[in-house]
Amino acid sequence: MSNQITLSINNQSISVPAGSTIMEAAQKLGVSVPHFCWHPGLSIAGVCRFCMVKVEGMPKLQIACNTPATEGMKVDTVSAEVKDAHKWALEFHLINHPLDCPICDQAGECELQNYYMKVGKYQSQMEDEKVLKPKALDVGDTLVLDTERCILCSRCVRFEDEVTKTSTLGIFNRGDQATIGTYQGRKIKHNYSYNLADICPVGAFTAKDFRFKCRVWFLKEAKTVCPGCSTGCSVNLFQNSNQREYYRLKPRHNAEVNGHWMCDTGRTMYEHLNASTRLSAPLLNGENVTFHAALQAVSDATKSVSADKVAVVFTAQFTSEEYSAVLNSLKTTLKGTPKVFVWREETETEESFDGILFRGDRNPNTRGMTEVLKQESVGASILKGDFSALANAGAELTLVFGPEVESAYPSLAKALSRFVELKKSVYFGNTLNEVAKKFWLRIPVKTFAEKSGTFVNFNGVAQKLKANPPVYPAVKAVDEYFADLGKLAQSAV
Amino acid sequence: MAFVNVSRDPERNFKNGYLATSLVGMGTTLVTFAKQVFGLEESNTVQWPEVEFQYSERFKGAHFLTKRPDGRVRCTACFLCATNCPAQCITIVAGESPDKGVEKYPVRFEIDILRCVFCGFCEEACPVDAIRMGPEYSMAGLAEQKWVYTKAYLLDREAVQRKVGEKQVSKKDENTKHDTVESSLPGVHAAHSGHDH
Repeated sequence: MSNQITLSINNQSISVPAGSTIMEAAQKLGVSVPHFCWHPGLSIAGVCRFCMVKVEGMPKLQIACNTPATEGMKVDTVSAEVKDAHKWALEFHLINHPLDCPICDQAGECELQNYYMKVGKYQSQMEDEKVLKPKALDVGDTLVLDTERCILCSRCVRFEDEVTKTSTLGIFNRGDQATIGTYQGRKIKHNYSYNLADICPVGAFTAKDFRFKCRVWFLKEAKTVCPGCSTGCSVNLFQNSNQREYYRLKPRHNAEVNGHWMCDTGRTMYEHLNASTRLSAPLLNGENVTFHAALQAVSDATKSVSADKVAVVFTAQFTSEEYSAVLNSLKTTLKGTPKVFVWREETETEESFDGILFRGDRNPNTRGMTEVLKQESVGASILKGDFSALANAGAELTLVFGPEVESAYPSLAKALSRFVELKKSVYFGNTLNEVAKKFWLRIPVKTFAEKSGTFVNFNGVAQKLKANPPVYPAVKAVDEYFADLGKLAQSAV
Repeated sequence: MAFVNVSRDPERNFKNGYLATSLVGMGTTLVTFAKQVFGLEESNTVQWPEVEFQYSERFKGAHFLTKRPDGRVRCTACFLCATNCPAQCITIVAGESPDKGVEKYPVRFEIDILRCVFCGFCEEACPVDAIRMGPEYSMAGLAEQKWVYTKAYLLDREAVQRKVGEKQVSKKDENTKHDTVESSLPGVHAAHSGHDH
């Protein structure tokens, strides 16, 4: 442990690797030092001058984010001198801040607001007029920039330079006229733009997708996993629980998977969760039936066929628990193994990767499904653009587990129309879909936001989903349906 | 052992009896009647609904929304009233205002008046003096009536215009920006002048 150094912060000692800053040591110890410009996923700028701490032996206060920790250093973050420095630093940040919190979408999760309540001066001594700057600028397809609210922490500039390497943003002018802006004729155009709205400590960058839709204090967050691609970023899913309406996803720090970020494609993964796009009732031969009747129909259909006349078509968008529930249940009721097919999107380029997070395999649980199939020793044939293997199987009952995220399957309608041609095809899906109406039986299922289970990402990292209250309470997850089917089969005996 | 005889009311005597008190009461009525007949005293009775009772100006009755001087809604759709409402009777849908200085305004602003408990918390929460409890107290209606007050109803209804009049225009500072704001910083954002989304 020779490269470890020990320092004390507020008389608590902590060991950190040599080269760490005071801020990192404080974070490790759980001591919160107020900061704006420092972000653990970005380089150090040291421009906000907010994270002042007292270091014993140094004549003046030092910034915690850019002062390296040394052996035996004694740091103080709570004395009156330090608190006074925080108070005045915040007063300076607020000089030109417009205080339009009522119309600002960041209000409620704004670091400026939070620190104002914690360490603010409350009575401003500033007498001069505020400098007015451009507001509500359109800086790209996804973001709105309000330069007045900006406190010039330069997090966004560093994000553009270091993470996406697009360098669209810069700081223009000097002094109190300084503003963040895009270079002439350029717009923020990349698949990670919403991260700018996340890392912005104030409401300078707001997401067009979320702008004016809901105040953040109405939202409750659930720790879950993004179903957008096989990276499986750890995310927080925000729901207004009174309305049962989902509004957005935000990345949750997970060093193993996604670090601090997530892509814009993943941010749209709340859209298919809300009631307006969801299936609510089963459809048998084009008529609405009860859930019980639908399950009874499946149960009856499984009784009259032998195992080799049953085909199961999986997409890799269900949880590992659901795959094993389906296979185990069918093995018991059919007394044999059904034919298993894996339906892949025909235009998909599985191995492609954008270098940051987004992967070409748009299924969150490809690895988990493969593991379950291996564990259950079931061989699966791939259906990718070519459905002849399924058509030649001569199945009398086909169970299709359709994709939850239909935007990941551009040729969905074409594939579904092939399944419809088969004898007695059952569709498990969650989205209102014209083609899916033509199935013999269509059963709505829960989305990733409503069920518990596991997604295994491309790298083999298994993550648990968190179940929110369901939008349609009668709708169940696939494993729950198959547990019910097992009960139905038993009661019939 | 001492006993208190409670079977007999000590107050019970001729003076407190039925006949005497009835006569005293009738006497008061007759004296007031005689005074009013001979014009010695004004009547206290209000002939409602022909005559309207004048409550204080600060009476907290049905809500109304205040206006900007140009007649548009003062509300900036900040949701603070909806957040503060203990009855959760306020529904707001916010939208982008066509006026770039205002930025945010309520596309829909609805109060479910049957849920409302008239506590006045919405008025207190409002940072821009956009919602007020009005002088209107007679709000009875039929069951089939629409009991959700819409934005149009909250802004322009006859009862409020009659009783509140010019005071419906809020005197609180506008959150509008001067038109020259954008040009005050030369060279920046000239390529895209904003507000066009």
